[in-house]
Amino acid sequence: MSKIRTHTVTFPLTRQEDWKETIPRKLLDLQPGLVILDCLDWFLNCTDFQKIQILFNQAGLTIILIQSSIPETIVSASAIGLPATLKIASNEKESKKSLGQNFHINENPSVLFKKGTLRSGESLEAEGDVLLLGDVNPGAKISAGGNVMVWGRLRGVAHAGKTGNTNAKIVALQLRPLQLRIAQAIARGPQEKPLEGFAEEALIESGQIVIKPAKAHI
Amino acid sequence: MSTNTRTILICSGKGGVGKTTLTANLGIALAKQGVKTAVLDADFGLRNLDLLLGLENRIVYTAQEVLEESCRLDQALVKHKQEPNLALLPAGNPRMLDWLKPEDMQRIVKMLSDQFEYVLIDCPAGVEDGFKNAVSASKEAIVVTNPEVSAVRDADRVIGLLNTHSINPVQLVLNRVRPNMIANQEMLSVDDVTDILALPLLGLVLEDEQVIVSTNRGEPLTLSGSKSPAARCYSNIASRLKGEDIPLIDPSKEGSRIRDKFKRLMQTKIF
Ligand SMILES: Nc1ncnc2c1ncn2[C@@H]1O[C@H](COP(=O)(O)OP(=O)(O)O)[C@@H](O)[C@H]1O
Ligand SMILES: [Mg+2]
Repeated sequence: MSKIRTHTVTFPLTRQEDWKETIPRKLLDLQPGLVILDCLDWFLNCTDFQKIQILFNQAGLTIILIQSSIPETIVSASAIGLPATLKIASNEKESKKSLGQNFHINENPSVLFKKGTLRSGESLEAEGDVLLLGDVNPGAKISAGGNVMVWGRLRGVAHAGKTGNTNAKIVALQLRPLQLRIAQAIARGPQEKPLEGFAEEALIESGQIVIKPAKAHI
Repeated sequence: MSTNTRTILICSGKGGVGKTTLTANLGIALAKQGVKTAVLDADFGLRNLDLLLGLENRIVYTAQEVLEESCRLDQALVKHKQEPNLALLPAGNPRMLDWLKPEDMQRIVKMLSDQFEYVLIDCPAGVEDGFKNAVSASKEAIVVTNPEVSAVRDADRVIGLLNTHSINPVQLVLNRVRPNMIANQEMLSVDDVTDILALPLLGLVLEDEQVIVSTNRGEPLTLSGSKSPAARCYSNIASRLKGEDIPLIDPSKEGSRIRDKFKRLMQTKIF
């Protein structure tokens, strides 16, 4: 019986290299099978991941997990349905993460990061962007001066751009909030059932909050 | 016994969802299964655990006298006549609320832990001092809720607070489940509730008139060995709490399966 192989493919360590060249070269040596892709601290958007998926599929490889130390990369990967986990490099940060406290990731100090569910009556506020790995339950509130990113189900209240930034976005794996606010605009959440596995985003278009599949760069 | 004693808070946030009824029935069911169990009425404002257990007329002293050291613990404990493995520590005067501190609650529960294997604490509704005192003396919790949006919302709030007190495990009991209403989508389903609360489900208790009848008699359903639906639910919860592997059945899904079969029958016979 042949065993299915699981390979680990890692992004280039330095920015001097272009991953669009090095990754295809790495794939040449690999037998078809499953892949864990470690993106290190590269910023990747949904379009990048779509390209990556095509590259790997052509080589007979299936991505089973994306690892990254960048929250935006994680959200982009999960937005197109790839399973992704946040990997935090140093031990010091690891220990903070396990305590479930809020903290800023060094690589990007403007993102407040928290792991866990926000339950009714709880709230999470950030001056810059906020990334929650978990659900926002009904009765809970998440707000940020910048973008609100929820890698989970958003069912409470979310406010992005709370100091007036009308370009701010709200992204969630399931965007079914009770109420959404971006800058001064307010909208009630949609009633229909969301599509499984695809992130959605809310943003302001011609003065109104609209919700669409999260495709663009986050 | 002290360190192995399981001290379990029975709480809900919202009032009237069935905490006291669960505490009484679970207490009796555990005692019947041979476990030395104490039930502590921590709802000093609206004490009624004694009533549900039919022990009201046997109370001499309460937790208050024990704390004031004007009586010993065993003088205040009311042993259940038919189920001697179960004892109740009654709540004192509602004015206890004014001075009771988390340390007092911890002291009482510590004393009970020396004599019992399980201590079930009937928590007051709300998230204020009464709740906080009770949490501070508990290691585990059972959150009781009904399949109603407002009860679930309050339960969620309570779970958040329990997490900040490192209570572990926190398990869920969904009370007053009505399979027909769920099947007709008139009520939140079991999945709807667990989806939001994200807690391990310890058990369901069906809506059952016998619960009300037994409450009025001061004889918990589990006492008489009643075969009523809720009685079975309570016994199963007791067994699961002890770690027995009793499968959970979602009655609304069972129900619909039966309904489907019935529909098929109807169709084949062409009524
Ligand atoms: N499974 C059930 N079926 C029918 N009635 C119930 C059930 N559980 C509780 N009740 C009723 O609900 C009411 C409130 O219950 P109680 O245990 O006093 O709630 P709590 O202690 O949370 O305030 C009581 O009248 C009780 O008889
Ligand atoms: Mg009560």
